[in-house]
Amino acid sequence: MDLIHPVDKVGVAEALRQATADRKRLLVVGGRTHIDKGEPWAVDAELWTTQLDGLVAYEPAEMIAVVGAGLRDGELDRILSDGDQEWPYDAPATATVGGVIAAAATSPRRMRVGPIRDSVIEMEMVTGDGRLVRSGARTVKSVTGYDLHKLMTGSLGTLGVIVQVALKVRPRPQARRSVKAAGGLEMGRRLLETVPSAAAVLAMPEVVELRLEGWPEEVERQLEATDRAAGVTVVTEDGAFPSERPWEASPVVAEAAVPPSRLAELLSPPFPDLLGPHLGSWGALLGVGIGWVGLSSSDGELGALRARANALGGIAPVIKGPGGLGTDVPPGLDVHRRLKASLDPAGVLAPGRFWGGI
Amino acid sequence: MADIDAARLELEEALGTTEVLSDPLALTLYARDASMVEGGCALVAFPHTVEDVVVCMRVAARHALPVVPRGSGTGLAGGATPIGDALVVVTSKMNRIIEVRPEDRLAWVEPGVLNLDLANALAPLGFTYAPDPSSQQTCSIGGNVNTNAGGPHCLAYGVTSSHVLAVDVVLADGTMERFGSEAPEAPGYDLRGILIGSEGTLGIVVGACVRLTPRPPDVRTMLLDFRTVKDCAATVSAIIAGGVVPAAVEMMDQGIVVAAESFAHAGYPTDAAAVLIVEVDGLPEAVNAQARAVESAARDNGVRTIRVAADETERALVWKGRKSAFGAVAQIAPHYHLHDCVVPRTKLVEVLAGVYEIAGRHDLIVTNVFHAGDGNLHPLLSFDRRIPGTLERVLSASEQIVRLCVESGGSLTGEHGIGLEKRDFMPLVFSDVDLGAQACVRAAFDPEGRMNPQKVLPAGARCGDFAMARGMDATQAAQSIPEGSWI
Repeated sequence: MDLIHPVDKVGVAEALRQATADRKRLLVVGGRTHIDKGEPWAVDAELWTTQLDGLVAYEPAEMIAVVGAGLRDGELDRILSDGDQEWPYDAPATATVGGVIAAAATSPRRMRVGPIRDSVIEMEMVTGDGRLVRSGARTVKSVTGYDLHKLMTGSLGTLGVIVQVALKVRPRPQARRSVKAAGGLEMGRRLLETVPSAAAVLAMPEVVELRLEGWPEEVERQLEATDRAAGVTVVTEDGAFPSERPWEASPVVAEAAVPPSRLAELLSPPFPDLLGPHLGSWGALLGVGIGWVGLSSSDGELGALRARANALGGIAPVIKGPGGLGTDVPPGLDVHRRLKASLDPAGVLAPGRFWGGI
Repeated sequence: MADIDAARLELEEALGTTEVLSDPLALTLYARDASMVEGGCALVAFPHTVEDVVVCMRVAARHALPVVPRGSGTGLAGGATPIGDALVVVTSKMNRIIEVRPEDRLAWVEPGVLNLDLANALAPLGFTYAPDPSSQQTCSIGGNVNTNAGGPHCLAYGVTSSHVLAVDVVLADGTMERFGSEAPEAPGYDLRGILIGSEGTLGIVVGACVRLTPRPPDVRTMLLDFRTVKDCAATVSAIIAGGVVPAAVEMMDQGIVVAAESFAHAGYPTDAAAVLIVEVDGLPEAVNAQARAVESAARDNGVRTIRVAADETERALVWKGRKSAFGAVAQIAPHYHLHDCVVPRTKLVEVLAGVYEIAGRHDLIVTNVFHAGDGNLHPLLSFDRRIPGTLERVLSASEQIVRLCVESGGSLTGEHGIGLEKRDFMPLVFSDVDLGAQACVRAAFDPEGRMNPQKVLPAGARCGDFAMARGMDATQAAQSIPEGSWI
């Protein structure tokens, strides 16, 4: 497979103009950490964004960082730590900022920090036909025109190539604790009610892991509340959250999204009986509605999980291994097709990778 | 030529004769919103149901009528000012809170529900709806969605887009779609995200799924006053740089403080050059820690006094002055032009100085009350438009203020929208190619261009690939538009 490795935005624009002229199908690649999400039908070349890794501007008092899309998440984290701030999406250190945004990856701390789309305030992108386009503004509020960056977030590189972004960042919490307690979904639900200010409540089959963040005194108080309700078994200071992701050991991982109150139905018996040897490997973000489910293959189990998610008003795209996004038809399919046709007229960007065969 | 009478009869048959207006008084009333721009319309319809809206869209499509969605008409940028033979679709009679589901932290509401009514309905359940524009007593959720509305508490909680999980929308062809989901992710591009803030140009919002925010267990509201505007603005940056993101940081200059005080009697220090309202919330421990950090930042920057609201009554009083400030300025002059632009918060000091200088040069009174934490300025020019030449001076000063904000790294509007008022300023912040791509988005939703035409994008903006299909690239296409046709 051909490799295109542009050194700057102009290089990306030239590559896409050429690809459009040649009808050459491209897969946009960052750190390859979210590459399994969505399966393109066929591609002729990979376009790597990893050389677009510059820091354009960072002013802690603005709580805004402007970076090249190829900057690695770990490097961004180091840069922001100098200002005692963070971009709180907890992606792997080798993931690129652009890739995390294109995949709309869910932060384990989403209950506190929200979806990634809320953090992208300005974007430069190159459309499928090689136009360099900017949207948004480097201000925390703006209703200036149409927010193309909203479309690009989660578009899996099917509308354009993200080349630069301005990110809303936040102060790094002064105190951070990860807390484990014995129990499963039911204990998680109880803790969600008892410790409403938790940054995350992650339920797994036998254990619940909470993330407590904030000012030292408030974290202390939440820790006491957790202990009273559940009996804390392990406390880690300043470590990664979650401390482990057992579902990632499975050959296939689906990221189910359902209304938060339906998580128990998604993951409770008798349904998990359908899941083979990886029955036990799931993690559920309570209060958010995300369930990461480990599967042994993308055959019957995945279909069963998707049917269950659909019945609960949700979806279950695969984020690791084969299986694609699913067969759900996006609402406004005609609108989707017209957007694709106008931003990527030759259809060179990862055809078939997105929902609805886009 | 649109057959207005035929369209009227079809609408009357479906909606009832009382829900369709075409008399001269109604057409004059609905020819404008709360901005200074006046337009005109042919028909005004008041749907009660989603089906009614679908009928409106189909009738408009059949007779090639432009459609202008309208909520409460509180918009300040002319986004709901109709132009030409438009059908104005007013959603204020679709005003039910359909369901509240605390277990999913969401509620479904119709577009005509008023912002404050929603917040009040959620309060007994321990929740609120976080975006709280100053017009929250009268503005509707449908309008909030369309302007991606903000408010004082958006500093910590985020703007409307962060609080709307899904929208039900009737598109120009009469089809209804749900963009977004009750689940945290939905299949497809984030059409929800692009629709929020689209100022009625992509479809009519007929329902919104809003996120419930738990009411904080503790709140502290502080009133800080300063000898100079510079000290006040510097305090804002120092608070943020110190790692605190308060729930709200609002700034009022002396002109506003004096006007608001004589109206609200909130005990504002009328001799101060500027005051800040800072509110912190959360667990009591967090409130204490944040309040200490705020006080320390203020002392480092020469604060004169810090008054902490002792109870809910005093807190309400402090906010009453802030939220009624725009009404209070009627004491200064009969008319005002309220600006909305946004700058990096570290540039507040120099931009404010520039705003005073521009107003002085135009012999206008300017007062400032704004969301300082967000860098979201609201310079308010007071004037009497009956005096010949005044309006021209106001418009000239306004343009210079917009240019100043953009030159300082800011943007055209933080929360009021582009509408008609700022449409022709769009090329100050976007290239022809950027605007062409935005035109593509619009065309994807509304290929016939009948939704709220002439708003947001300047007349020259065309979807780039359409231009290329004719053998031009977007830059050439934009250059082929005659000079001056945007005005």
